[in-house]
Amino acid sequence: MSDNRPKVLVVDDAATVRMYHTKLLDDAGFEVAEAANGLEAVEAAMSTAFDLFVVDVNMPKMNGYTCVETLRSDTVGTPAPILMISTEDRPGDADRAYAAGANLYLVKPVNAERLARVARMLTSGVAA
Amino acid sequence: MNPLLAQFLAEAADLLTSVDEGLLQLERDPGDPELVNEVFRAAHTFKGSSGLFDFPELTRLTHAAEDLLDAVRSGRLALDSGMTDDLLAAFDLIRGWLAHVTTHEQLPATAGPAAQSLITKLRGPLGGEQPTPGDTAGAAVPAAVSDQAPEWLDVFDTDWLENTASWLVTTSATMRFARYTPDEGCFFRAEDPLHLVSQVPALAGLGLIQPFEWPPAETYDEYQCLIGFVLATRAAVGELNHLFRYVPDQVEVVELDGAAIRRHLSGEEPPAPPVEAAAQAVVQSQTENLELARDAYAILAAAQRSLTAESPSGARLSSVAHSVAAAAAALGVPAETVEADVEALTARVTTLLAETPVTPEEPPPVAPPPPVERAPADRARTDDPGGQVGTRILKVDQEKVDHLMELVGELNVAKNGLTFLADAAEEEFGSRVLGRRIKDQYSGLHRIAEELQAAVMDVRMLPLSVAFSRFPRLIRDLSRRLDKTVELVTEGDDTMADKDVIEALGDPLVHLVRNSLDHGIETPAERVAAGKAPAARITLTAVADGDAVIVEIADDGRGIDPDKVKRKAYEKGLISEDELEALTETDAVDLIFRPGFSTADQVSDLSGRGVGMDAVRASVEKLGGTVTMRSQPGRGTSTRLRLPLSMAVTQVMVVSVAGQRFGIPVDLVVETVRVPAAEIGRVLHQDVVVLRGEVVPVIDLARVLDMPWTPEPAADQRVLIVSLHGQRVGLLVEQFHREVDVILKPMEGLLAYAGEFSGTALLGDGLVLLVLNMKEVLSLAARTQ
Repeated sequence: MSDNRPKVLVVDDAATVRMYHTKLLDDAGFEVAEAANGLEAVEAAMSTAFDLFVVDVNMPKMNGYTCVETLRSDTVGTPAPILMISTEDRPGDADRAYAAGANLYLVKPVNAERLARVARMLTSGVAA
Repeated sequence: MNPLLAQFLAEAADLLTSVDEGLLQLERDPGDPELVNEVFRAAHTFKGSSGLFDFPELTRLTHAAEDLLDAVRSGRLALDSGMTDDLLAAFDLIRGWLAHVTTHEQLPATAGPAAQSLITKLRGPLGGEQPTPGDTAGAAVPAAVSDQAPEWLDVFDTDWLENTASWLVTTSATMRFARYTPDEGCFFRAEDPLHLVSQVPALAGLGLIQPFEWPPAETYDEYQCLIGFVLATRAAVGELNHLFRYVPDQVEVVELDGAAIRRHLSGEEPPAPPVEAAAQAVVQSQTENLELARDAYAILAAAQRSLTAESPSGARLSSVAHSVAAAAAALGVPAETVEADVEALTARVTTLLAETPVTPEEPPPVAPPPPVERAPADRARTDDPGGQVGTRILKVDQEKVDHLMELVGELNVAKNGLTFLADAAEEEFGSRVLGRRIKDQYSGLHRIAEELQAAVMDVRMLPLSVAFSRFPRLIRDLSRRLDKTVELVTEGDDTMADKDVIEALGDPLVHLVRNSLDHGIETPAERVAAGKAPAARITLTAVADGDAVIVEIADDGRGIDPDKVKRKAYEKGLISEDELEALTETDAVDLIFRPGFSTADQVSDLSGRGVGMDAVRASVEKLGGTVTMRSQPGRGTSTRLRLPLSMAVTQVMVVSVAGQRFGIPVDLVVETVRVPAAEIGRVLHQDVVVLRGEVVPVIDLARVLDMPWTPEPAADQRVLIVSLHGQRVGLLVEQFHREVDVILKPMEGLLAYAGEFSGTALLGDGLVLLVLNMKEVLSLAARTQ
C-alpha cells in the first residue's frame, strides 16, 4: 500500500456528493479519504498530512468556513491547498471562503474535468 | 443500479425523514432558529446531491422548497400552515418520484407538470419570481413555438437526437430547443452570454455554434463574441422567455416532440457538413488550453482576494504562496522562489494576472453536470483501509440479522439437548462422572449462548421513536381534516424494543390514535365550553419495564361514558339485561374490546373501518402482550399496551399432566407450591387453596384439557400459581420441570383452531412442546366447570 499518490480529503455531509467527488478524484489519480463534517475533517487532518482538501460549506457540527479556519489555525496549521465547493453562489460567499483560508471557491455541481484539472493544478508540487 | 444512485436513494430517505419531522415540529414552534436551520440544511443537502443526476424536475422542485426555507431562515417570511402544506406536498411528491427512480432509474413521465404547479405555489410567498404564463417580463415574447425542427438542431449529434426523440415519443413529452446568438458587441453591454446559458434550468443538451471561419490570430478581437449556443431543455417556454427577456431578439425557441425530431433526422436535407475534423481538434485543444488558463486565472484571482482582504500569515500565507506557484506552473511561467511575504506575493500575483491570457473576471460554471448515472459502475472506494474517517457504523440488511437470530435460537435448542444427554449418561450408561462433565460443558455453553443471544438482540433493538415517528404527520393531517386542534407529546422515544415488536406495534398504535382523535377528542368549541384548553393533547409514552415495554396512548378528550357504552352493548346484544345492571364502570369500559362494538353513532371515514378495538387487543395479545384501558368521563382516556421486549425467544416453564409436557410462559408464573391434599378446599363448586391468607382458585389442568389423570389423593398436590390480568389462579399439575428457552412457532393448519395453545416449540431432546395460551385455558375451564 505504499502509495505516493497525492492525498486528498473530501469533506461533505452529503454521502452522495462525497461519493461523486471521491470517484472523480480517485480517477484523477488521487488517494482519497472522506469526512462527513468539519469536525471529522479536522480530526483527520491532525493525524494525516493531506495534500489537498475539498470542503463543502453547509455541514452540521462544524461548517466549511470554520473547518477551513481551523485547518489554517495554529492547531492544525496545514499549508495544503483548500478547495471549497458549495451550492451557495451569493456574492460574498467566496470572499468568506478566502478570508477563512481557502485557495479556490467553486460552485456545485462542479464539472468533473474541471475538478480534476484544478485539483491536479493545486497539488502540482506534490510527488505524483 | 449504479452505486452512486443507490447511495443517493439511501441518503434521500434519511434526509426526507428529517425534513418531514422538522417541518412538523416547526409548525408547532415556528420561532426555533435551530429547527429552521436543520430543515433547510436537509433540503439543501438533498438538492446538492440531486444535482448530480439527470433529474431536473427534482432539482428544481427542491430548489424552490429550499428558497422558501431560506426566506424563513433569514426571517423574511414567517412559516404558516399553508406553506407547510406546500412544502410537505413537495417532499411527498419527491418521495413518490424516488420510489419510481428506485425501480426505473428515472423520474416518472408526469414529473414535469406536477413539479411546475408546486413550484409556482412554493414561489408564491416569495413574490412569485417564477414566471407565470401571463408574466409581464415575457411580454415581448420572442419565442415562436413551432413543431418544425429548425436546421440548427444539427449541432447535436445524431445519436443523441435519436435517443431523445425516442424518449420523447415513449413519454409523449416535448422538449424546448433554443438558439441563442449573442450580439457581437454584447460584452460591452454588460451581457454575459455564458452566465445566461449556465442559468438555463433543466438543461439537457448544449451545443456550440462556431463561426464558419475563425479570424486569423493577428486580427482576432477577443472582445467580440463570435459564438452562439444551441440548447435543449426541459424547462417551460415561459421560463426560457423570462431568462432571455433582455435579449429577446437574439433568441429563437422551438418546442419539439419526438416526431418532429425524427422528421428532422430523416429529412431529405443531408446532415449539415460538420466542421472539419482537423479544425475541430484545434478548437478542442484551444478550448482545453483556454480552460486550463482560466482555472489558473481563477486560482490567482482567489489568491489576490485572500491577500488584499486581510494580511494572511502562517499556514494561510504559505498555502497562498503554494497556490500561486501552482497556478504559475500551470501557465508555463518559470518557477520563482516564492517569498513567504505578503507584499512580494501580491506583486507576483498582480504580474501573473496581467500576463494571463484570459479576460473574464470570474469563470462561470461551463457545462451542466455530466450524466453521472451513465458512468461505468466502478467499485466503490470502500476497500481503502487508510484514512477512513466516516462514522463506524455498519448498515446491515435486516434479513441477515434475522437469520443470525434464528441460528441463535437453534443453538439454544441444541444446547438444551445436552442436559438430556447428561441425564442419559447417568441413567442409561451409569456414568455419573460423564454426566457431570457434560453438565459442566453445558453451563459453559449456556453462558456463551446467552451472551450471544443478548448481543444479537441488542443489534435488533430499535428505539420506540421509530414507531412514534409517523404520528406527528398522521395527527397533523387528521386533525386538520377534523378541524380539531391537537398537540402531540411523545415521551420515552429512546426506549428500546426488538424490531419485530416495533413493527408489530405500528398498526395497533395507529388505530388507537385514530380512535382517540375521532371519538375521544372534542372540537375546540366543545372543549372551551367544557372549560378546557382549545388544543387537545395526545401523549405517547414508552417505558421499559423489565422484560417488557409499556406503551401508553393518552388523550385529554371527553373520555368514555360507561353508561353509553353499556347501553350500546345492550342494544347490540353483547350483554344481557342483568349485566347491564351489574357491570362496574371499569368492566363497562372493557366492553369496547368486545368484537362488533363501536361507540360512534356514525361510522366516519377515519375509524370504524370494520376494525375495532377487539382487533387491537387480538393483535397485541398475539405478540404476547396485554391491553388495558382507563377512562375518566370528561377527563380523557388512556390505553396501555404491555409488550414483551422481544418476541424471538420465549422462556417457558415446563409442567406435565398425564405424562404429557406443557409449557407455560414464565412471565405469567408466580410460584410453584406443594399443598397437602387436605388443604384444597371447595368454595361454590370451585377448588381453592388458601395461600398467605388469599383464596386462590385451583383448576385441574388435566380435566380442562380432557386428559386421563387423577391426582393421588394422599400425596401432596403440585400447584402452579399463575397471574393473569391481575388475577391469581392455581393449576393442578402432575409434575414441575425446568424452565427452558424456546422459539415459539404458531399453530398452523388444522391445529390453528386449538386456541388453548399459543404455539409449539421444539425441545432439545426432539420432543414437541405445546405451549398453553393461559387466557383460553381459563375460559375453557370456566365453561367446563
